[in-house]
Amino acid sequence: MQLELRDIHKSFGEKKVLTGVSFKAESGKAFGLLGRNGAGKTTSIRILMDVFPANSGEVLLDGEPIDYKRVGIGYLPEERGLYPKKKIIDQLIYFAQLKGMRTPDAVRSVDKWLERLGMTEYRNKRLDTLSKGNQQKIQLVTALAHDPEIVILDEPFSGLDPVNAMLLKDVVKEEIARGKIVLFSSHQMSYIEEFCDSIAIINKGVVALTGDLHDIKREYPRDKLAIRSTQQEQIAAAFPGRTSMAENGELILRLSDPGEKMTVMQRLSREFDIDEVRVFEPSLNDIFVEYAGEQE
Amino acid sequence: MGQFSKIFKFELKGYLTNKVFVGVTALIVVVLAVVLFFPRVMGFFDSDEPGDSDAAEPGERDVMLVSGGDESVRSALAAAFPGYDVRLENGDVKAPVTNGQAACAVELHGLTDFVYYVDNLSMYDTNADTISRVLTELYRLAAMTEAGVSPEKAQEIMSAAAVYEVRSLGVDQGQNFFYTYIMIFALYMVILLYGQMVATNVATEKSSRAMEVLVTSARPTAMMFGKVVASCLAGFTQLVCIFGSALLFYKLNESYWAGTELIGMFFDMPVSLLVYMLVFFVLGFFIYAFLYGAIGSTASKLEDINTSVMPITMLFIAGFFVVVTAMSSGSVDNPLMVACSYIPFTSPMAMFTRIAMSHPAFYEVAISIAILAASCVGVGIVAAKIYRVGVLLYGASPKLKDIIKAVKNA
Repeated sequence: MQLELRDIHKSFGEKKVLTGVSFKAESGKAFGLLGRNGAGKTTSIRILMDVFPANSGEVLLDGEPIDYKRVGIGYLPEERGLYPKKKIIDQLIYFAQLKGMRTPDAVRSVDKWLERLGMTEYRNKRLDTLSKGNQQKIQLVTALAHDPEIVILDEPFSGLDPVNAMLLKDVVKEEIARGKIVLFSSHQMSYIEEFCDSIAIINKGVVALTGDLHDIKREYPRDKLAIRSTQQEQIAAAFPGRTSMAENGELILRLSDPGEKMTVMQRLSREFDIDEVRVFEPSLNDIFVEYAGEQE
Repeated sequence: MGQFSKIFKFELKGYLTNKVFVGVTALIVVVLAVVLFFPRVMGFFDSDEPGDSDAAEPGERDVMLVSGGDESVRSALAAAFPGYDVRLENGDVKAPVTNGQAACAVELHGLTDFVYYVDNLSMYDTNADTISRVLTELYRLAAMTEAGVSPEKAQEIMSAAAVYEVRSLGVDQGQNFFYTYIMIFALYMVILLYGQMVATNVATEKSSRAMEVLVTSARPTAMMFGKVVASCLAGFTQLVCIFGSALLFYKLNESYWAGTELIGMFFDMPVSLLVYMLVFFVLGFFIYAFLYGAIGSTASKLEDINTSVMPITMLFIAGFFVVVTAMSSGSVDNPLMVACSYIPFTSPMAMFTRIAMSHPAFYEVAISIAILAASCVGVGIVAAKIYRVGVLLYGASPKLKDIIKAVKNA
């Protein structure tokens, strides 16, 4: 399956929120939707979920206009919250039913997910008796219990401790492996880099960059080397004016020409004690800052 | 339809398992039981007490002193006041009353003029009227006897009275007033209370952010109608519990209430009126609940609700006052009431009152109901649209202008 947003325009009153937003997400892969606060991510997601219509543009599934009656969508909103005063099992079943499940199926599925997330003991508790992280796990059940084809997770990792983050990672990987279209929206670039094959960076309602993450990285000029060595100062002295320090402690050496790569690498390994040397690829963080940050 | 019924069931269950809701209903039923069983319980304690006198203790009756009269006056008064020990007294009668030796005293200056002395005059003291009646009768008898009428004939003339019967060709406003008032008041209370509940319910979902998931899971029209119909049924259940238990308690104690016309009147309501009540209750409830729901969706904080719903509450209260004023003046068909009985926001109360206390033509009632039903659907659809837009607006409460704009854009 392929989910595609094509040339979406949306304005609220005078305010243009989206201008010609287009991107594609494939099943069996995770897609990262990035953007600064207020860039238009949530609006894109809401149009994708048919909360309100776009002024123009289409949402397509495998090239056809999406049929919301047939295609299940699971959504973990960034603004979390369910019914604090109601029993967890009651509200989870209610949400699964609203998504079209029959009651017995809903009960079975909700119980399965509660067990998967280690939340079975809270089944009959009120939601507001749970910690924030556990409430978030409960909310994840509302996004997944009805076994949707498209899963949209908005900042899924915020507020989770490392153990729960690990659990969520496993769950997300399972969903991807089961051929779901998983759409991520996050500011935590490390998670996006870990999961997502493709990304779209939205800036002020415009898609500033979209495509396969590896391709995007490869498109950057391969004219820098990242070096880890015990002799970084000596290397810097040997290549005056061409080196800088990366945040992770690596030495970045700018090549005068990408073709110079082999000779420089050979020279480095011959003259210095080198732990690692490779062609420098920008991190997603660098790319994000470049595309979403500067175009003020 | 599937989503509607699921939302409806969930919301209804929410109401019926709400402890406050159940508690308040139970409390009202208990209060009704206490009130309606009261005469039976009192009757049980008071069963051996002599009838008329409320102050007299058994064996020791209050004393009524009579001065300036003869034995015939005394015996006539004694017959009229079985609860009193009526004695003739020649001296001063004020002192025994002030010092408590006698409950009251009558100082006669002839049969047509007397002074009634009592220490503290109770609001319910009708003794003077009774004394006046007894004395008037004695005077007339004496006068007739003097004019040559035989005592028997005089007695007969005195006791004759014209027999009459009232047959109302329309409705009896006096009788209907009471239960119309109760019904209008029930409608008023239920709409205000449940309207607020719908508004709060929506605003709670919004402020707890449950809305984020709901709005992507269900159609706004299904949400709106599910919530409103559920709250309507919850309100109706509560009314049925209250009025049903009242009727049951009344039936159980009917004989003890025999002398109390007011209560009897209420339970004598015709069935057709109950049906109208139901129709106007449901439609009136819907139209306001939709408005309250729409307003609830525009508030981002629960605190904002009270100020946001003010215009609707005011509109409703104004309608209520028009109706109640017309009811108490008796002119339920005045031009204002006629106008109100077609305006959908006031017609549930105004038209119902006119049906109960007057006799509007059938087509008038039909038009009123048709306008109301059509408005319900219209308001419901608009409310669902406002809801769809409103639930996603956070921050300061939006202005009416902004909402209209957003609804148009959506």
